[in-house]
Amino acid sequence: MKTISLTVNGKAVTAAVEPRTHLADFLREGQLLTGTHLGCEHGVCGACTLLIDGSPARSCITYAVACDGAEITTIEGLDEDATMRRLRDAFSREHGLQCGYCTPGMLITARDIVTRLPDADDRRVRFELSGNLCRCTGYVGIVRAVRRVIEERQKNGSAARPEAGTTPGTSLGPVGSGHARTMPANGPIKRQMATATTTAPAAEPTRSPSGQAKPGMEIRQSFTVNHPPDRVWAFFDQIDQVAACMPGASLTTPPRDDHVAGKIRIKLGPISADFAGDADIERDAANKRGVIRGGGLDTRSRSSARGEIRYALFEEKGGTATRVEVDVGFTLTGPLAQFSRSGIVNDLASRLTAAFAQNLRVRMDRAAGGSPAEPEPSTEQTAELNAGALVLSVLWARIKSLFGALFRR
Amino acid sequence: MKPAQFDYERPSSVAEALDLLRREDLFVKVLAGGQSLGPMLNLRLVQPDLLVDITGIPELKRAEPDSDGITLGACITNADIEDGRAPDVTGGVLPAIARGIAYRAVRNRGTIGGSLSHADPSADWVSGLAALGAEAIIRGGPQGDSGRRTLPIEDYMVGVFEAALEPGEILEAVRIPRLSARARWGYYKICRKTGEFAHAIGAVLYDPERSVCRAVIGATESTPLVVADAAFLFGDRPSDNLAATYDTAAAARLLDRKGMTDPFERQVHLAALRRAVDRASLQ
Repeated sequence: MKTISLTVNGKAVTAAVEPRTHLADFLREGQLLTGTHLGCEHGVCGACTLLIDGSPARSCITYAVACDGAEITTIEGLDEDATMRRLRDAFSREHGLQCGYCTPGMLITARDIVTRLPDADDRRVRFELSGNLCRCTGYVGIVRAVRRVIEERQKNGSAARPEAGTTPGTSLGPVGSGHARTMPANGPIKRQMATATTTAPAAEPTRSPSGQAKPGMEIRQSFTVNHPPDRVWAFFDQIDQVAACMPGASLTTPPRDDHVAGKIRIKLGPISADFAGDADIERDAANKRGVIRGGGLDTRSRSSARGEIRYALFEEKGGTATRVEVDVGFTLTGPLAQFSRSGIVNDLASRLTAAFAQNLRVRMDRAAGGSPAEPEPSTEQTAELNAGALVLSVLWARIKSLFGALFRR
Repeated sequence: MKPAQFDYERPSSVAEALDLLRREDLFVKVLAGGQSLGPMLNLRLVQPDLLVDITGIPELKRAEPDSDGITLGACITNADIEDGRAPDVTGGVLPAIARGIAYRAVRNRGTIGGSLSHADPSADWVSGLAALGAEAIIRGGPQGDSGRRTLPIEDYMVGVFEAALEPGEILEAVRIPRLSARARWGYYKICRKTGEFAHAIGAVLYDPERSVCRAVIGATESTPLVVADAAFLFGDRPSDNLAATYDTAAAARLLDRKGMTDPFERQVHLAALRRAVDRASLQ
């Protein structure tokens, strides 16, 4: 807990807050100021917009602890504000609201528009309102209400002096940050996360997904290794060896009857997920192709992934090399899926494949008894993939030169 | 939609911030406005042990123009740039980019350094500052608190959500060159809704007095495609009327080299660059 002192609607407030409490929850739950509404809680819908040091800000992605010393004005604090009174009248007159959920945020944004942009036309008003979503009105009435107030102000001059704390400041930096005092540390900083002891998940059985819907993501990758197809195929039979080539992956139990259980840690910048799950492998030795079907769960984010990997080996360079083609189809559900942007997932997948191919080559060189061209991985479990991080840069440069023709990156 | 627990510190100097960032036993994240990190925290996609809020550090909120350009501290906000509180040395280029970022309520807290370090491929500053030829000034590292190194912006983003920061380093400022009066600039962002993540970004800078001709195709699936010498996109003869000699086929070859094969992706990215070129052209 941290102790903060701030001004809320002109009143001094001192309170102990958890750092993770966002400003809207602090106001609604702690100060009982429920006029600030919460919609999406990730900065998109605008319902929680209020004034921090006189400028509009999102209270759902601003933590209360970061507002120490700041002046907060919510919709309740603008009851007597002359501009807000005009806006309220105009919203009523022009049908600027129906259910009222977006209205507090709309009014705060509208007040910012009419005071900051006294000449805004319809187009500009719409541009400025684009960060506040309304599902009832179709915006026409809201835009009209804002324009009415702009016109009134142009005709009659702006209203009397606004309330203290409701005009924007002139200092640089994020609004609310101008008063920052160093926070006295109270007690040592704790490790918040349990260390990654991913317990075996209660993953659903992963039998053939017959009649399964089309996977959400499909990715095709290929790479070449300088070993004949027979040897690559034999290597693919050693599931533990193959798993060890996958960055961040390891088996949790020894494989049996083409059934494997394991886990994989994937890291993308600050996001990391530990998927644990199991899979079944079907192999067609005659055609040197196979299918891996499975799924896994990231217990931390409670996201799950299900899908299949089809792979096939093709002879290259007169039988001395093998091209491995991989088709991955998967569906991600849960919180991580909300974030999935297909391009980013593709980028991650191509990095994973490239790292996998590189590790595979090293292991196969070693198994073939030749002196490996690359330093051997120091541990059996390959390091997690930290996509794009500099720790990978040396390896990355090699991958790029090795697979430059294939990946064209 | 509530974040997992984290600790919070608000240091008052870069040295104090670096001390916290050197903690190897903790997952430490810098908070520089939190307009991208906040959503990720609320969605529990990111679960740090400690947030280091650097917005209380005065030296990260400076805006220092000189004859060659301007140094903007990492915690200068998009609204500071939009409103001109941070002086403009680019003839309106920076305020125009800033105004197109997300929404006003977000711009009031979102910072230039935070956006660059978050390294989202769709972010405006990643592409816009690369086109302007800006540089990242990084503090800390092996030389300790006073250590400094400089990187071109296009080298600062190394991958999706990954900036070129070593442990114990922090982005201190961005250095933006002053454009000459003759400079021509075009920027075009394709999004489905105002303020949303860009689907494609095109940017062109032609500043003959400084012998600069740069182009960027951004909002790709990873780092933007930055062309430091873009004269070949204009038949090696760039002029004030850039559109007259613009060679779409040469731009398409850039996409080939980047490995962008999806026809729709190619189309929107080429359209964004084409429209940026049109905007930059004197007609």
